[in-house]
Amino acid sequence: MFTLARALSLALVLVLTAPGFGSVARSEAPKATANLTVGVSQDQYVLSGPRVGLGMYPLNANIFETLTYLSPDYKVKPLLAVRWKFRPPNTWRFYLRKGVKFQDGQSFNATAVKEGLFDRLAKIPGGSTVAAGPQSAIVVNTYTIDFTPTEKDLRVPEQLVHPSNGVVAPGTDPGKKPVGTGPFRFVEYLQNERIVVERNPTYWGAKARLNRITFRFYPDATTRRQALQAGDVDVIFEVSRPDVQSLKSKFTIMSSKVGAYEAMYANIHGQAPYDILHDVRVRQAIAYGIDRKLLVSRVLFGLANTSQSMVPPSSLSPYASLVKGYPYDPAKARALLDKAGWKVGSGGIRQKNGRPLKLTLVSGFPSAEVHRPIPVFLQSELKKIGIDLSIVERPDSASYQALITSGQGDLYLENGNQNDANPGFLPVLLFYTGGSGASAPYQKLFAPGPTFDRLIAPSLTEVNPKKVRKAVAEAMHYIVDKEAIVIGLAGIYRVYAMKRSVRGFVPHPSFISVRWDHVSLAG
Amino acid sequence: MKGYLLRRAVLLVPTLIGISLLAFLLANLTPGDPAAEFLRRTTDQVPTPAQVAAERHDLGLDRPVPLQYLSWLGRAIRGDLGVSYTTQRSVTAELAQRIPATPQIALPAALLALLIGVTLGTISAVNRNRFLDQIVRIGALAGAAMPSFWLATLLINYFAVQFSLVPVAGRDQPSSYILPIVTLAVTPAAVLARFTRSTVLEVLGEDFVRTARAKGLRERIVVRRHALRAALVPVVTAFGTSLGHLAAGTVIVETIFAWPGVGKLALDSILERDYPVIEAFVVYTGITFVAISLAVDLSYVLLDPRVRIGAARQ
Repeated sequence: MFTLARALSLALVLVLTAPGFGSVARSEAPKATANLTVGVSQDQYVLSGPRVGLGMYPLNANIFETLTYLSPDYKVKPLLAVRWKFRPPNTWRFYLRKGVKFQDGQSFNATAVKEGLFDRLAKIPGGSTVAAGPQSAIVVNTYTIDFTPTEKDLRVPEQLVHPSNGVVAPGTDPGKKPVGTGPFRFVEYLQNERIVVERNPTYWGAKARLNRITFRFYPDATTRRQALQAGDVDVIFEVSRPDVQSLKSKFTIMSSKVGAYEAMYANIHGQAPYDILHDVRVRQAIAYGIDRKLLVSRVLFGLANTSQSMVPPSSLSPYASLVKGYPYDPAKARALLDKAGWKVGSGGIRQKNGRPLKLTLVSGFPSAEVHRPIPVFLQSELKKIGIDLSIVERPDSASYQALITSGQGDLYLENGNQNDANPGFLPVLLFYTGGSGASAPYQKLFAPGPTFDRLIAPSLTEVNPKKVRKAVAEAMHYIVDKEAIVIGLAGIYRVYAMKRSVRGFVPHPSFISVRWDHVSLAG
Repeated sequence: MKGYLLRRAVLLVPTLIGISLLAFLLANLTPGDPAAEFLRRTTDQVPTPAQVAAERHDLGLDRPVPLQYLSWLGRAIRGDLGVSYTTQRSVTAELAQRIPATPQIALPAALLALLIGVTLGTISAVNRNRFLDQIVRIGALAGAAMPSFWLATLLINYFAVQFSLVPVAGRDQPSSYILPIVTLAVTPAAVLARFTRSTVLEVLGEDFVRTARAKGLRERIVVRRHALRAALVPVVTAFGTSLGHLAAGTVIVETIFAWPGVGKLALDSILERDYPVIEAFVVYTGITFVAISLAVDLSYVLLDPRVRIGAARQ
């Protein structure tokens, strides 16, 4: 027994200490104080193929830059393109910034943009948000390039802000050693552990104030919070709402403007037993029956507002006020249900011709966990007006999408992000029936019909961004205020937490557009 | 012995085919389209039907399911496990990167669990119904019932956050290994302690133990050299099962400690409907369990001289 114990102990010590040696892939972090460590969630980089995105998306390590940039108030700003012009019928001419070099010394010019952006997008099977073909990009001169999408697309500058449209240095392998024009250049990547970047000394703009940034992957939100508390990281992304309370006494909490939304979509085309929401009065009753101020203050800890537009108000400005939303008015909700023939029955649940007013809420986009405990809150609110809400949770978006396809639900709860500057992108994709680029399963359940299509059509045919915003705002007014097909719950702020020594951080409503070049560490 | 080993190796093949087929069918029956899921994650949008169709074709998902499986099997036999839908890298490369990380914490955890479990179980059995026995039994019950995610968070909170003794997560430093190993070791240690107590108690009542005592041997020698060795056979079986589970990856611990192991890979591949990785993980798990089971069988020979591997029935 003793011999066995000694042998086991020795083996244990050897096995415990051995992994600490010989790990040649890991580099020692430099001791300089201008090094920042950021805790982010799961590593989801695609490392090979046409959709390769190391350093680009979903975690934007500021290695690459796009032709246009999404500002925190959802405006399109020049970045690698200083200006652009639409040339009818379907061509965009981009005038490129001069004096820019890639991190490997190559010159940035129109040929590099053709190869490193548009030709790259053209190789993606099925296309990307920007529909590029092999002949779409034409070099006009050294710093001018024409781009003609394969489909009519008047939103190209708004779409190019997405980090997945970064310009890759020609001839490089972005899956192994990403090379771009950004303020930081690639140092090291350990899959599922970290990606490290350092200041780009040849950056065309103001040089970054940090020497090095290490992005560490922590899939679990609690672990991320603990890493900040322990001092292992300086900044964390995607702070969970309950964690904000425990952090705010010792750390800086920064929240952005609305960058995402919580909303329910009503299945208005469902087959029995999911046909109750064909009646607009029932939908409107639901919208009136939810106390959004209570939801925001108690459930969302004040890290949201009561916006119901499903599109961030910043991206609709100055027309965001066209989308009014529903005030909390349970009396009006009850009156609407009475008028629709749903009378209060036993147990407080309404009935009509013997059928209880029972609805199914499907929660699962991007996962059920993201929404908790909102479904339970909604269940409690709707019970007060006589609706029995049963909750079906799906652990991931794939199984949620399967329920969209099958139509087995009345209400579908989603948390979505606006990550580019095209305000009409999501409404068109989900609800518009006039084009080929829409999502058929969503249309089957939620498509509002010809009035909506007519209202939102200018967002596809107008070049002027202001007219686009107006059209989208009017379409959202119809779909939210009139028809209550989209029952908005809250506009969600993006929350970041950091040590008090972090300076210059701008909380962007889109995680993927955060810039690090102005960030520094005090002391 | 050689014949026995050869038979076990040959039996591995239909076992792996069976479990890979089952996993393939279950994965395909699970709701959700891998192509749509891949596009949603990589394009940051709900894909159009045309995009999904193009991606399904690119991934080979538009072929009939039996054909997909046979195609996968044909390549797997040649060592090609396909391409991950998620990272677009070869599955072999993905597994090669992730597999070594799991034993880095699983093996020490298993050894720690064995050391603690057998020691405490023996002490508990020898001190039956006394204070030490009660303490060990309560501790083992608590350890077996304790959820690993709760324990992990608790340990991180105290040792990493409050006292800054170890890092919160990751595997940058040798001290990073301590918390995940301890977290993993607790439950199997508790199970092994209870098991060892039970088997040692049984053996302590045997005639040969009574004989050893009657000969005047000290109690320590009776327990160590006589009782424990006889009691270890079932304990090794239980240990083998624990080791198999640990080696196959511990999803919760790997997620909480940001450990890039094979358990987390399996969870992600299921959520992302990454069929090639799911299949490869099933094959890996099958091989691991069979190998451990074989090692456990062989260990019986060392522990019990009456056992002969592959001996003809008499």
